[in-house]
Amino acid sequence: MVLFLADPPVGIHVPDIEFNEEDVLVRASQGDRDAFGQLYGRYIDRIFNYVYYRTGNLHDAEDLTARVFQRAMNHIHNYTDRGVPFSAWLYRIAHNLVANWHRDRSRRQEIPLNDLPVLPSKGDHPERNLVRSQEQDSLLRLIRRLPSERQSLLILKFVENMSNAEIGAIMGRSEGAVKSLYHRTLLALRDQIGDQNINLDNE
Amino acid sequence: MNKRKPTLSDDQLYALEEHLAGTLKPVTPPMEVVQRLRERIRFPQPEEIAWRLRDWNRMFLIFGGVMSGMLLLITIARAFFYLVGRRHIG
Repeated sequence: MVLFLADPPVGIHVPDIEFNEEDVLVRASQGDRDAFGQLYGRYIDRIFNYVYYRTGNLHDAEDLTARVFQRAMNHIHNYTDRGVPFSAWLYRIAHNLVANWHRDRSRRQEIPLNDLPVLPSKGDHPERNLVRSQEQDSLLRLIRRLPSERQSLLILKFVENMSNAEIGAIMGRSEGAVKSLYHRTLLALRDQIGDQNINLDNE
Repeated sequence: MNKRKPTLSDDQLYALEEHLAGTLKPVTPPMEVVQRLRERIRFPQPEEIAWRLRDWNRMFLIFGGVMSGMLLLITIARAFFYLVGRRHIG
């Protein structure tokens, strides 16, 4: 029997009216697989997005996303809400696994852009022609060269649309520290854009 | 000597943020990836474990495999002790 049979079919969004995360978490930590399935359904897209942008390829994103949820499932009884939301706990697992993944490769790998598949963005029409502009490719390449923490920060801020406080909860930093890191990251990006004569005005 | 702290003008900041927002967009994982992930993130239910234990063909193969492995190990160990023992006597 496959886990998560009670989940809705892919692509169908079920309103959150009956979703009480606290209650679901309690049930999941008691070994209720359906409850964990609900958490999975709620966070799969977000974790996949984070891992996809951090690894830069679909295959590893899939593998690491699976490992994030496997680890979460095995350790969910250890999760206690001490002011850190469940989502932040999941992101921390993802963050650590991605860090290990990079370490295992022993060098920061710049993924050739041809290998980085362009996935449809949220809200895009499925038949939309999926291409990235040259400027976006260049910017992505620069982002990949940033230190790990800064990459995470940008992904959480722009892909996940999180506030500095939420990012701080995941990265274990204060809101002010995140704000400062963000500013320094933008400065570094601006300098690199200038150094490499990348023109971002052509979009 | 005081170092001037580099700053971003509002225009630069806005432009860069706009480009970042255009580049780092949330994506939808392919449907087959989500399905595969659902399949991967599973562990056997108690009923499934019980069913496996009642599957005699599987149990027979497992038992046979374990016994064959043990016999092979014992044979290798006996041969080893025999050879070592002979060398000592000689």
